[in-house]
Amino acid sequence: MPITKRLFASVVFTAGAASVAHAEQLVVNSYGGPYEQIIMERIIEPFQKMTGISVVYDSVGSASQDYAKIKATRGRPGFDVVVMTASQSLDGCREGLLEKFSAKTVPNLVKLNPAINRIAGECGAVHELQYMSLMWRTDKIKSAPTSWSLLFQPELKGKVILPTFQNIMAANLVQALSVMNGGDLLENVAPGFTAMGKLAKQTVGFEQSSAVMETYIKDGQVWAMPFWNGRAQLLMDSGLPVDYTRPKEGTIPLIATLNVPTGAENKAAAMKFVDFFLEKSSQEAWVTGYKVGSARPDIEVPDSVRARQITTEEDLKKLLLPDLSITATKLPEWGDRWERDVVHAAN
Amino acid sequence: MSAVVTEMPAAAPKGRRSSLGGYVPLVPPLTVLLIFFAIPIGMMIGISFQDPKTAAWSLVSYEKFFTDNLMIAGLLRTLVMSGLVAICVTVMAYPVGYFLARSTSRWRAVVFALAIAPELAGVVLRTYGWLIILEDRGFINDALIWSGIVLSPLPLAKNLFGVVVGLTHVVLPFGILAIMTSIQGIDPNLEKAAQILGASRLSVLRHVVFPLSVPGIVSSLLISFTMAASAYATPALLGGARFKVLATMIYEQIMFYTNWPMAAVMALVLLVLMLAFSFAGTRAETRLHKKLNV
Repeated sequence: MPITKRLFASVVFTAGAASVAHAEQLVVNSYGGPYEQIIMERIIEPFQKMTGISVVYDSVGSASQDYAKIKATRGRPGFDVVVMTASQSLDGCREGLLEKFSAKTVPNLVKLNPAINRIAGECGAVHELQYMSLMWRTDKIKSAPTSWSLLFQPELKGKVILPTFQNIMAANLVQALSVMNGGDLLENVAPGFTAMGKLAKQTVGFEQSSAVMETYIKDGQVWAMPFWNGRAQLLMDSGLPVDYTRPKEGTIPLIATLNVPTGAENKAAAMKFVDFFLEKSSQEAWVTGYKVGSARPDIEVPDSVRARQITTEEDLKKLLLPDLSITATKLPEWGDRWERDVVHAAN
Repeated sequence: MSAVVTEMPAAAPKGRRSSLGGYVPLVPPLTVLLIFFAIPIGMMIGISFQDPKTAAWSLVSYEKFFTDNLMIAGLLRTLVMSGLVAICVTVMAYPVGYFLARSTSRWRAVVFALAIAPELAGVVLRTYGWLIILEDRGFINDALIWSGIVLSPLPLAKNLFGVVVGLTHVVLPFGILAIMTSIQGIDPNLEKAAQILGASRLSVLRHVVFPLSVPGIVSSLLISFTMAASAYATPALLGGARFKVLATMIYEQIMFYTNWPMAAVMALVLLVLMLAFSFAGTRAETRLHKKLNV
């Protein structure tokens, strides 16, 4: 009998432990490369240590591929937390595919700048801010540019790389050039497309992936390009002779969000992770590690970081902020126009 | 009489049982085909009739596809690219397939291994290899510029040429296998008989081997065309933004625009295109056979 009891107890314990372990596992989907290394070191490992929740990191797929998976599976993509953009957060929320956050489920949400948080809607927790910067090779262009007009200079013919329209940077560049040439961000973007048609003649080609785009500037084939400032800063820090700026005509931010699909298996753990990522210490670690901005105004980071990143509402006000839900509805029409006016001009 | 009458009813059910039993092995593959092919195709057809915005029944995606010159250009590019790949593969595969089918040389095994070897590396790996060779700063352009033959890089990648080269390399082993198998099925005595009767080697090839290997040629054309038309990785990497075909356009519609009805219409057009080509190929083969009296 004692042996039977012991056996029974160990079976119950093992089953219980297994179910607890299963419940306390979390699948986080995000990016690979330097992003994976930094998020593991600065966010995931401290989170695991603090909560005891085991995190499975899934680096497969871009934000748009992840969102397509969420749509295809009707909110059951197999991961619990995903890194996407404010535009996808708004769309997924409207479609009922993403969980809504509240101060109860994610207490740190109230610590974010309300204006920034509103842009991402109820289903997106803004965990980082970047902006489309103008990046250039300092060994090729001696005087620091301040305007997008650098890309149009005759000496840069064949020395510029552009994103394909499937990289949201392309639409953002059209919008920025539209404002620069007398148009606006949404309804009158014709000046932007006209300018892009001229810029297409300068380009060496179009690439979808930011990782591929940066190879052109690394090997010196390209001297200037639009690029997300976080990645530009990482390239600078790696010792590459590049620098970047926020052009005087304005630029558009990339508002990155954490999202939880409605069918996530480990929803409670997912909410804990989102909240942990928004903690002051986590945001400080992320801003200094991945070289991006934050929606938390109370973070303490060196002045040198604050000078180049978006960390306050004032910084955000200096940027161009199109209505992201309207931008999303315009993309198919703009995509066609991009093929006709921009890609065709490059040929 | 009575013996006949009593035997007949007993034989009939036995025969029916055995004929039904013959279908049993078909059940697993048919079930797999039903679940993973027929039902998804049915769903895809259903989605193609949805309005992308309201999900109501609509022909709006069909209308856009057949009236938008960007879509038609994508369809034409797919046709031209697949046709060129099918021709290049078959022309290159024929001599290799013939050698492999007829040779008794010790080099036969080496040639066979070389013909099949590209399949051992993944499509993406091979395509990146071609990108390194063909791009503006690739091996060929570097060599041409270094030797002073050209002053600026030749446009070898991010266009039709690059995609056809890459896809021909990917599909060639399948063409070789199709033609080799077909030629192996031709009785070698027919060639010997023709030579004994005075036909030259070229004449034997032209009047005996070639007509009898038409099924292999048609198979090679069909396989190459359909594989090229449905290929994604090679056109995406070697074609880039300036050379979009239906496969890459479908990917964009799903992943970037999340417009599934339009993607479904494009996929159906691609499917119909491949079915039509297969049907036309089979008909052409039959006619050619009749014309050549083989």
